[in-house]
Parts: sequence; C-alpha cells; structure tokens
Amino acid sequence: MIKKHQPLRRFPDYKSSIVRSPENEPLLINFSNSEITGPLFNKNILNENDNNLILNFSKNGEKALGQEIFVHGFVTDENGNPLKDVLIEVWQANAGGKYRHQNDPSNIKLDENFGGCGRFITSSDGYYIFKTIQPGAYPYPNRGIEWRPKHIHFSLFGSMFLQRLITQMYFEGDPLIKSCPMVNSIPDINARKLLVGKLDLSKTDEEKILGYRFDIILRGKHQTYFENKIEGS
Amino acid sequence: MVKVKNFIDTPSQTAGPFLHIGCTPSITGINIFKDELGSTPFTDISLNEEINIKGKIYDGNNEPIIDAMIETWQCDENGKYFNYQGFSRRVTDFKTGEYQLKTIRPGNQINVDGTIFPSYILFWIVARGMNSPLITRMYFDENEIKSDLMFKNFNIQDRLKTLIPYTEDKKNFVFDIHLQGKKETIFFEF
Repeated sequence: MIKKHQPLRRFPDYKSSIVRSPENEPLLINFSNSEITGPLFNKNILNENDNNLILNFSKNGEKALGQEIFVHGFVTDENGNPLKDVLIEVWQANAGGKYRHQNDPSNIKLDENFGGCGRFITSSDGYYIFKTIQPGAYPYPNRGIEWRPKHIHFSLFGSMFLQRLITQMYFEGDPLIKSCPMVNSIPDINARKLLVGKLDLSKTDEEKILGYRFDIILRGKHQTYFENKIEGS
Repeated sequence: MVKVKNFIDTPSQTAGPFLHIGCTPSITGINIFKDELGSTPFTDISLNEEINIKGKIYDGNNEPIIDAMIETWQCDENGKYFNYQGFSRRVTDFKTGEYQLKTIRPGNQINVDGTIFPSYILFWIVARGMNSPLITRMYFDENEIKSDLMFKNFNIQDRLKTLIPYTEDKKNFVFDIHLQGKKETIFFEF
C-alpha cells in the first residue's frame, strides 16, 4: 500500500528519518479545493540573472569558481504533456561542497562570488535551463561519516498544490549515488534513475560548457496509492 | 480488481537542512531576488480579520525541529481560493523551533452538492530527515470536523483534536505539530 516510486518516510539507513517520520499511516482522502488550486507565479518576479548561478551572486562581475555547467530539461505531467509557468527554485553547495549557510559546519572555504541559489519559470513547452557550477560532494553524519553524492536541490510549483515537489538531481556516473540512503529510500530502482541528470552534449557548440539533462514529472489529479484503485475514481 | 496504469512522477527527496538558501535566501544573507515567496499570505489583512498562529514541530524525541519549512495555503474569508494570494512560506526558528504566521481566518467552503465543509489552512512541511513532505490541516472547531463526512470514514475520532489549535481569544492560536507519540498529528495523502 505504498507508492513504490516515492521514498519511504521512515528509512532507518537515513538516521534522521527515524524520528522525523509519523508512526501512523497518513489518511488517504480525496483532494478538495486546497489541493487542486495553488499559487501561480509569472516571470515578473524574476531578475535577468536569476537562472545563472555563476553570476547572480558575483561581487565585481567575477564568476563563481568551479566546473561550469548548464542543466536543462522539460517539466511534464505523467502523460508527457508539457507544464508551463512552473516555478523552479534550485539551491546547492559550492564547488568545494560548502553551503552558504550558517548551520553548515564544514571548514571548506566559501566562494565570495557564489550564493548557491537560482530560480526560473518553464516556458510554454515546459522547458527550463540554468547555468551553475558543479557542486562538490560533502560528508555528513549518518551512520558515522557518509558522503552525499553531488546534487542540486529542486523545488517546483505546478498549477496546484497537489503538484508541489521538492527533490534532488544527481549527476550521471557519480559513484556515491549507489550508497546514498536518501536515494535508496525509494523502493523502485527504476524510479531512482529519474533523479539522475544525464550528461548532454547536444548544446556544446552553443553553450560551450558541459550540459546535463534533467526532466521532471509532476503528478496529476488522480490517486495512485492503492493497487486496486481505479484510475480517475 | 483493476490494475492502475503505472504512473510514475519524479520521486521526492528531502529538502535538507539548508533549504533556506533556495527558499528563504535572505535568512542566509543572500539578497539577490526581487522578493521572497510567501512572505505574507495576504497583502491586505484588516485588523478584524487578522489571526496569529504560532507553534513548533516536535520530532519523535519531543525535540522541536529547527530546520523545517512550512508552506501554508488557504482560501479567503469567503471560502474562495485565489492564485495570487493565500500562500505563505515560514521556517522554524534556528534556536527555538517556533514558526509564526499572521493571516486571516479562512471561510467555510461549499461543495458542489451544496454542503458546507469546515474551514482550514493547509500545512505542507519539509525538513531534513523527511524524504517526502508531510501534509496536514489546521481546522478551527473540533465539533465541526467530528461531524464532517470525510472523517467519519476513519476510526480516528480520538485523534481529531490534533488538527485543532489552542486558543483563548479566537485570534491568537497555537498549532503544534507532533510527528510521533500519543499526540501524533494526523497527516494526509491524496
């Protein structure tokens, strides 16, 4: 009675999930107005450089340090229909694996030209693109010290609260993905692959930096919780 | 038994302890965006509609969670949802774990069949240690929801009080959320 493609809330290999997951099953209810509506955003909220993390925190026009990359892809529903006007917020560590955050205990140096956040809105065909630097992997306390694979956090607003999603993009080929308990909290191995951005050289001439392709699928207005639930009911 | 089509939407992952960088960047000293999302749910809150909500989110050790983000979504006083207001984004305090929200009391909503259902504010919660968001609702009146058809299908009458905030004056509310234990809050899936 679980969505195998969504993570288990309680996954003891990820230690902090043990005390931060409810003991009771959630109540499965029909959505009402609060789920099929949601805040909508438009491009008026954006500055020109909001989707360029290499430059959007720059002090004197200097670039952030690190391997420059772009990440792009399409946001669709489960039937492949493009979702326009989806607000995407991203945040990440710098090239050394350090976050610009007062609670990050790491002694790695901050990059004075790197804030680590950006935001952008999908176009009419569901497309988004942003530039950044490759984030570093970093250690964190779990079962002893473990390593987070390189990742970028993504937050998405579709057109209704039901579609609200926060997730992470990993990088194709990163050997740390396999042992990451956050990734492994997803029972369906195929669904884990949806979180891996694929190396994409298709725009090499145009962008002249390494590209990654990361498509995102937001759920629609149906419940998929029970195996015997009829679609659309 | 009908097998559903195998819908797969992108899996959720934890927002992590540093979600502020992307979601409320000014807290971390980053001020590059025009404005921060959800700083107030309604731009115009008149004094007679105003309510104040505060509370903490307690983990299984009964410790307040100091790195959570709560997003709230609600209708206006007439039960109407808009797409440009009604949304707020709050984080729990790094030291105390408390969140605070000034908003307006949402009105009752009317179903298509004309029945009225009780007013509530949707709470959508993420934090380190949460692989996917927790969704709950803050209602205002326990008797109202006890008689609501939606809850009658479940054998949880003794837990319904977890959806009701404490108040002395119906203007200031304390809505604590408990992830585990005897006081565990009711969470929802759709």
